[in-house]
Amino acid sequence: MTDIKDKKPILQLVGVRKTFNDFAAVEKIDLDIFEGEFFTIVGPSGSGKTTMLRMLAGMEAPSEGNITLHGERINDVPANKRPTCLVFQSLALFPHMSVGQNIEFPLKIKGVDAATRKARALELMAIVRLPASYYGKNVMKCSGGERQRVALARALAYDPEVLFFDEPLSAIDYKLKKILEKELKDLHRETGKTFIYITHSLEEAMVMSDRIGVMRAGRLIQVGTPEEIYAAPVDRFVSEFVGEVNVIELKREGEGWRGVNLPGAFRAAPPKDAPQADSTFVVVRPEFMRFLNDGEEADNTLEGVVYNEYSLGSRIQYQVRVGDKVMLVELSRSNALPAAANRNVRLGWDVRDAISVKA
Amino acid sequence: MSNAMTETTLAGAPEAARAPLSARFAALWAAAGVRCAVPVVVLLAAGFLAPLIAIFAYSFAPPRSFDVFRAFSLANYAELFSPDNTVWLSFAWSIGFALVTCALLAVISYPIAYGMVFLFGRWSSLVSVLFVFPLFVSENVRLYGWVLFFIKNGVLDGSLKWLGLGGAPEVLYTPGAILAGMVYTYLPFMLFPLTLGLSMVPRDLIDAARDLGANRFQIWREVEVPLAMPGILIGMLLTFVLAIGAVSEAKILGGQSVIVISHDIEIAFTYAQNWPLGSALAVLVTAFIGALTLAVFARLDLDRLLGRR
Amino acid sequence: MEQDKLRTRVFIALWSAFVVLLVYLPLACVALASVSKGRYFAFPIRAFSWEWWEKTTDSIEISMIVENSLLVAAVVTVFSVVIAFFGALAFARYDWKGRKLYQKLILLPVFFPQPVLGLALLLAYSALGITTSWMTAVFAHMVWIVPVVTLVIAIKVYGFDPSLEEAAFDLGASRVEVMTNVTLPLLWPGIWSGALFAFLLSWGNFPLSLYTAGADSTVPKWLYAKMVAGYSPMVPALGTMATLAAAAVLLGGALLGAIVKKARAA
Repeated sequence: MTDIKDKKPILQLVGVRKTFNDFAAVEKIDLDIFEGEFFTIVGPSGSGKTTMLRMLAGMEAPSEGNITLHGERINDVPANKRPTCLVFQSLALFPHMSVGQNIEFPLKIKGVDAATRKARALELMAIVRLPASYYGKNVMKCSGGERQRVALARALAYDPEVLFFDEPLSAIDYKLKKILEKELKDLHRETGKTFIYITHSLEEAMVMSDRIGVMRAGRLIQVGTPEEIYAAPVDRFVSEFVGEVNVIELKREGEGWRGVNLPGAFRAAPPKDAPQADSTFVVVRPEFMRFLNDGEEADNTLEGVVYNEYSLGSRIQYQVRVGDKVMLVELSRSNALPAAANRNVRLGWDVRDAISVKA
Repeated sequence: MSNAMTETTLAGAPEAARAPLSARFAALWAAAGVRCAVPVVVLLAAGFLAPLIAIFAYSFAPPRSFDVFRAFSLANYAELFSPDNTVWLSFAWSIGFALVTCALLAVISYPIAYGMVFLFGRWSSLVSVLFVFPLFVSENVRLYGWVLFFIKNGVLDGSLKWLGLGGAPEVLYTPGAILAGMVYTYLPFMLFPLTLGLSMVPRDLIDAARDLGANRFQIWREVEVPLAMPGILIGMLLTFVLAIGAVSEAKILGGQSVIVISHDIEIAFTYAQNWPLGSALAVLVTAFIGALTLAVFARLDLDRLLGRR
Repeated sequence: MEQDKLRTRVFIALWSAFVVLLVYLPLACVALASVSKGRYFAFPIRAFSWEWWEKTTDSIEISMIVENSLLVAAVVTVFSVVIAFFGALAFARYDWKGRKLYQKLILLPVFFPQPVLGLALLLAYSALGITTSWMTAVFAHMVWIVPVVTLVIAIKVYGFDPSLEEAAFDLGASRVEVMTNVTLPLLWPGIWSGALFAFLLSWGNFPLSLYTAGADSTVPKWLYAKMVAGYSPMVPALGTMATLAAAAVLLGGALLGAIVKKARAA
C-alpha cells in the first residue's frame, strides 16, 4: 500500500462543531481525509458519528468550524450540489420505483436521456453483481443483499468523488455481511473513489479500512491505521472497544507499582514507558495472558481459579477469578488447559505485551 | 340428523385439539373479527343502506305521490332529463364549485400538511387541534361569521371606512362567496388526509433524493407526490364529494343567488312536496358520488394508510 | 443550505399561521357581534354589552334546545363509542375474511354529503311510519359519527401489539379478563379521544339534525332558523356560547386524559 501521507487531502475538517440547542453532538473536530482512502469512523451509538456524516454529506451545517473539499469551503453547499453521495442506513430506496429506476434516478435528475440511462444502469448493475434481469424488478421484492447492491449502484450512478456509508450492513446477517464487506473493499479498489464509512463495529472497520477514527461523546479520540488502533490504543475506551481486554489499574508505591483491587501481595513490574502520574491503567489482551507451569516465570504473575471456559472456535477463552476481579486468558485450541474447571492456576504476562493507557 | 351432527363433532374435535396453538388463535380471532364487525354493519345497513334503498324505491313512484312500492313510474327521471328542465344547471354549479374547491384546497393545505409532518415537531399536535376544532362548531355559525365580516357595515367594511379607504367591495351573495365558504368549510377534510399521506413518506427518501442531486421541485414530483398519493387521493375525493352535496354555503353566503343540487333536492322534499322527484335527483347524486368513491376506494389499501404511524 | 431551509420553514410557518387566523376570523366576528350593544351589528362597535348573553341564558326556549343538544350528544357518544370500539377491533386488530371490504364500507357514510343523507333518512323514517324526534336524530348522527370514531380508535388499535393479548391468554386469563386487563387499558387513550370526537361532532352537527330531529330543535338547527328569519343578536350570542362550550369540553377532555395518563404512569 502506498503511504497514505503522500496523498492529497480531499476533505478537511477544521474545528468542526455541531450543537442542537444546548447539546453538542460533535465537538471541535480536526481531520484530514485523503483522496482515495477508505476511512471509517467508529463509535458507540450517540457518539456523534452520524451527525458528523450528515455534515459531510450536506444534510446538516456545522455550527462552528469549516469543512473544505479540495480546499474550498463547502459548509453551506447543500447535499444536492455536493459531489458526494450517502448510502443510508435504511438504504432509502424509492419503493415506487423499480431497480432500474432507482439506479437511474440521479441520471434522470441530471437530464440524461433514457437510452444512455439504461445503458449506464446495466453497467452499474454488473459492477455491483446484480443480474441484468433485475432491471425491471420492484425494489421492495428484492432481498436484503440485493437492496444493498441497488443502493450502492444508485450512489455510484451519481458519480460522486466521495461516497459515504451510514452503517449500511448493520441489519444484515453475519455470513452475507462478510461477503458484502469484501465486495465493498473490492469496489473501493476498482473505483478508486474516497469512501467514508461509519459503523459501531470495530471488527467491520478493521476488515475494510485504510484508516479508522474512533469517536466518543462527540470527540474524535484516535485516528490511525487498523494496526495502530489495535496495537496502541490511546486510552482505556479505545482498547476496550477493540475487543475484550484485561484492564489493570496500577498505583505508584514508593519505587514500585501496586495493583488496585488485586490480592494484596501483588507487586507489578514497572510498566513500559511508565507515566509520571501516580496511577495508570495497563491493558493486556487475553491472548497475551498465559498460564504458568511450575517454575515458569513472567514479569507479572497472579494466582486464581478458573470458573468458566468458552469456545471461540479455533481458540478457547478462560475466565479466571483473581480476588474480586475476573481475568481473561485465551489459548489456541491445541494448547488447551486440561481439566480446567475450578482448577487453581497461576497466570502471568510480560511488560512488553501490556499497553499503558489513560483512564 | 342427530347422527350426522355427532359425527361432525367427533371428527372436528380432535382436529381442533391437534391444531397448533397459533392456528387455534387464528381461528378464534377470525370469528372474533366477524363478531366485532356486526354492530357497525347492522347500524350502517339500517342507517345508510336502507335509506339509500328507500330513495331508490321512491324515485320510481308517480310524481307528487307517496305510493312507494305500489306503483312503478319513470316519470321522475323523464322530468329530470327533459330538455326544458334546468336542474342540470344546479348540477353544473355543484360540480364546478366542487372541482375548484378541491383544487384550491390542495394548494392551500399542502404546505401546512408538509409542515405538520416534517417541520413543526412537537407543535404539530397543537396545529392539528387548531384545525380540528372548527369541525365541532356547526358550519352555519362559522359561515355566519363570514357574513358578519363581509356585510355592509360589517367588520371589513367598517374597518376600511374607519381607515378612510371607502367601503369594502360587495362580496356577499355571489358565487365567489359560495366558493370561499366551501374552501373554508372543507379545509380539514383535505388537510388531514394530506397529512396522513405525507407521513407515509420516510424522511430518508427525501434526504436521499436531495443527496442524489434533486432540487426541491424534483423531490416533490418524483418522491413526495407519488408516495403520498393515497392521502392526496382521499383528500381530493373527500372534499369533492362533500362539496358536491354542500348546501349551507349557498344558502348563507350565497343568499340563494345560486341553487346548488342539494338545495334542489331539499326544495323537492320540502316546499314542492314532490318526494319522488327529490328522490330521483338524490339517486342521481348518489350514483355519481358512489361511482367516484368506489373507483378511488378500489385502489386504496387502508391498512397501509392508517397503520403506519 | 441552512438559509434555503430556513426560508422554506418561515414560509410554511407564516402560511399556516395565516390560514389558522382565517379559520378563526369568523368565530371572532361572531363573538364580537354577540357582545355589541344594540339590535343591529355595525363595526367598529360603538358600545359593548352582555345584554344579549343575558337574554340568551334567560330564555326558556333556548335552555330547552340546549338540553336537547346535550341529550342527543350524550346518547350518541355512549352508543357510538361502544359500537365503534368493537368496530375498530374488526377494522384493525383481527384478520378476517371480508375485512378489506368492511374497511371501505365503513368509510362510505363519511364520503357522503350529509344533507343528502339527512333527507334520505327522513324519507326512510316516513316510509316506515316513524315520527321524527331527537331519538331519530341520535340514530342519524350515529350513521355518520360511528365511522369517524371507529377510525379514531382504529389508529390506536394499529399500534397495539396483539402478542400482548396472546401472552395474557397464555398466562391463563379468560377472554373477559384479557379485555379488561390488557386490551381496554391499552386502548383507553384512543377510546377517550373517540368519545370526545363523538360528543363534539354531534353537538355541532347541523345538516343531519335539520332533517331528522322533527319537531325537536338542537342548537345548530335553532341558530339556522333564526339566521334565515333575519338578524337577531341572540344568534351570535348562542353561537359563541356553543363554540366556547365545545372548546371547554375539548380542553377539559384533553386535560382529564393527561391527568389519567400521568396518574397511571406514576
